[in-house]
Amino acid sequence: MADHKLPATTSPATRRVVLGMREASDLDELELPSETMPLNMGPSHPAMHGTVRMVLEVEGEKISSADIQIGYLHRCFEKESEYATYTQIFPYTDRLNYVSPMLNNVGYAMAVEKLLGIECPERAQFIRVIIGEISRITDHLTCLGAGAMELGAFTPFLYNIKFREWLWELLEELSGARLTHSYCRIGGVVADLPEGFGEKLRAVIAKGREVLVDVDKLLTRNRIFRDRMDGIGIITKEDCCAYGVTGPMARSAGLAYDVRKDHPYLVYDRFDFDVPIGSVGDNFDRFAVRVEEMYQSMRIIEQALDRIPAGPVMVNDPRVTLPPKSETYNSIEAMIAHFKLIMDGIRVPPGEVYSFTEGGNGELGFYIVSDGTGRPWKCRVRPPSFANTAILSKVLPGLFIADVVPTFGMVNMIGGECDR
Amino acid sequence: MPEPTVSTASAAAPAPASDSVTVVIDGKTHQFPKGTNLLEACNEAGANVPYFCYHPGLSSPAVCRQCLVDVKGQPKPVPSCYTPVADKMEVTTASPRVLDVRRQMLEFTLLNHPIDCPICDKAGECTLQKHYFDWDAKYTRNDGIKVKKDKVVDLGKHIVLDQERCILCTRCIRTCEEVAKSPDLTMAQRGDHEVLTTAPGRRLDNPYSLNTVDVCPVGALTAKDFRFAMRAWELYATPSVCPGCATGCNVEVHASRDKVYRLVPRANPSVNKFWMCDEGRFTYKRLHQERTVVPLSGGLPVEWDRALEDAAKKLRASLDKGTGSVGVVFNAQSTNEDLYALAKLAFDHLKIDKAYLAGYDEGWHDDILVSADKNPNTAGAKGIAGGRLRSLVDLSRDLKSKAVSALLVLGEHGVLGANAAALPLGNLDGLVVAASHNGPLTEAAHVVLPLADWAECDGTFTNKLGMVQRIRAALPPPGDALPGWDILAHLAHKMGIAMDYTTAKQVFHEAREKLGFMRGADWGRPFLPVQLRFANTRG
Repeated sequence: MADHKLPATTSPATRRVVLGMREASDLDELELPSETMPLNMGPSHPAMHGTVRMVLEVEGEKISSADIQIGYLHRCFEKESEYATYTQIFPYTDRLNYVSPMLNNVGYAMAVEKLLGIECPERAQFIRVIIGEISRITDHLTCLGAGAMELGAFTPFLYNIKFREWLWELLEELSGARLTHSYCRIGGVVADLPEGFGEKLRAVIAKGREVLVDVDKLLTRNRIFRDRMDGIGIITKEDCCAYGVTGPMARSAGLAYDVRKDHPYLVYDRFDFDVPIGSVGDNFDRFAVRVEEMYQSMRIIEQALDRIPAGPVMVNDPRVTLPPKSETYNSIEAMIAHFKLIMDGIRVPPGEVYSFTEGGNGELGFYIVSDGTGRPWKCRVRPPSFANTAILSKVLPGLFIADVVPTFGMVNMIGGECDR
Repeated sequence: MPEPTVSTASAAAPAPASDSVTVVIDGKTHQFPKGTNLLEACNEAGANVPYFCYHPGLSSPAVCRQCLVDVKGQPKPVPSCYTPVADKMEVTTASPRVLDVRRQMLEFTLLNHPIDCPICDKAGECTLQKHYFDWDAKYTRNDGIKVKKDKVVDLGKHIVLDQERCILCTRCIRTCEEVAKSPDLTMAQRGDHEVLTTAPGRRLDNPYSLNTVDVCPVGALTAKDFRFAMRAWELYATPSVCPGCATGCNVEVHASRDKVYRLVPRANPSVNKFWMCDEGRFTYKRLHQERTVVPLSGGLPVEWDRALEDAAKKLRASLDKGTGSVGVVFNAQSTNEDLYALAKLAFDHLKIDKAYLAGYDEGWHDDILVSADKNPNTAGAKGIAGGRLRSLVDLSRDLKSKAVSALLVLGEHGVLGANAAALPLGNLDGLVVAASHNGPLTEAAHVVLPLADWAECDGTFTNKLGMVQRIRAALPPPGDALPGWDILAHLAHKMGIAMDYTTAKQVFHEAREKLGFMRGADWGRPFLPVQLRFANTRG
């Protein structure tokens, strides 16, 4: 299954393999005129993941307008950040996109490092790539597993979550926390990879490939699954540009924008990987793009494990890095550095910065304004989920109520990230 | 914290151009008046030259060697705090050589400095920490044994010295000599055994001794009152004015979780420069002692509504006998806003003509900062109530003759002073007291209305020079207490009078329209207290 390719498709019309089932657009002439009815989906709805409410206006089964109401998971990330030191913000970033916390860690750390004008050591950059790609896989596994489950396919969900758990066990070994890792630091990562991490990761990836094959067998040619996914929720390149949609969603519509390729950061330019794109922009393309991205992430991880250099994992600067404990307890210099870093925070020179990375769902940006103190004056997140969710109000009208479930599932709106 | 004083006095005129010299600092040309200190000139030009021993309010001994700069034509770096600017001087403030020398000096300073930050009261506002972080930031090269000195030396009534932490900058010695005019401190021994100590036969007991704690760049001198009470970086700073006397020293109120931990002076060249007296620092103590927290009517706790109704009834009952039978007591501890609201209610609306001024009794004074008048707003009270104010002696006489049958008191400070028995309060039919503290007066009162004290309300004080200075709320009033103007607005409402104030600012603006002495005063911008760790103002 090494040369996994997206299934070839021709047009949205031929994608629809359903015979005998009427399209939503056919209903216009057939149905008797009826009054529209408002229908609340969520926030207490299993497919809405408890974090979003959709006020649909339906004519029978057909949606005539959709009002997407977000904010149910708003935790004041940006305001809280203004009252925390730069280092204390890491746990908050874990809770943005909580299915790929490492990607948020990396994105945030890189924004502050850009403002500080420092670059973390090469080994730390490789580690960041590895943990970032692991997180991307966990993100996609969750999205696809949950998406399939909501369409009735429970087994692929269990398979995916099994694979995800193997990866999270590795990240737990690495950081001490299964989900909210807070593993990155300004200037590097908190600790080196544990012994044997590379071998374990390779083994997990090998097992994971088998899982993906199993899931592929269960879903890709599954009639029920394809009927619910094919040709549903089509978005175009132009819509993506207009709404600021990025990530797998934009790539499924044929927009080959991937921050790792177009604005390479860390050491991504040294790896050989492809950016899969779809041709139709429907739910199935979004599914297929994510599957392929997982294979690409595994490629990156394997290359990174091959080439990771030895060396420090933190920059050596007492103004940024906590000194070793033996120094802290035994010399006044390190004690002061420790004290200042913990109590006052890393002093970031005044200025503003926008730094962006490829998150699980698209371009994850951090816009930070510093006033020269140890805490940001402003810390704004550009969450990919926000733009990706916004386009739903354009996509949903014209679909059946039942189509909301796979369409919303393939948007992979993560409340923590979207609402912040 | 730069908080411009609201002042009616004009600033000093700038020096004429003929007395200025041209100095090139880091490649840019600047003009300074002749005789300007080079360190001040560099920092005014935005160069950020560090220093330990220099203090803008003291003389410069150039002992710390942190302010070294390169001057063209000089073979060695010169201490800028000890050098006056000269015409055509060319200065480099951050050449590699200068930075290296400064770092070496810091390394010397840190050589024997104890590893005390976790238990040091100055940590978080320490100049040594700041300079190390900003200018050195290198790990130690020393693994020798540090010189041991005395850790707890009792220098005086308020101060404890840790000789190991002292970096020998002599700021405290100069503060005693030049500010308090009392040479209590000196240096003893030599080399790395040099220590700070009291001068022979003296103790650090002058009335300005706590300023030495403020000027100390490290945690060598600590105030017994603040020692181990609170971590400095956790405190929130609010600019305000000391209520201790008529001088009106500018202070910062350092509070955390609704408790004030200390007052420290805030620089104001036209009032207190950089200093304040020890007595003023302890005025915060009474913010947390014997406070009134709920309205009382007949000695029992009641709702605000009920208390105000009862108060209004008492006053109305006496007013019905004639406006002359009700008296009002103004207090020199109240803000201009409270006094203005009281004057408006009493004189304009109720037509009361019997007004008295209370306040703390006169005390000791000196020609440095301390005034004999121990009230912060006597000038404001006199400016607002004009010639209508009479003394407490007159009140005593009026009470004895039963010319006054009801009394409205705003602020209990000094109403029953040393001669408490002199006021026959038992003769009153109605005694309504808005008080911040419990005492004999609130016990005698028929209605007690809990009043916010100075650190809990926004407003202005007028000092003895006629400067209208802004005070700001550093913490919320305890319990149900309210600011005076607010209580009076509610009381007026209960008496059927429209005095609809919702903010102190509104009262201030109305008062400024009406009162000559407040003309030109400014309320200032809204202010949110800043935690010291992020304020970047200390150390």
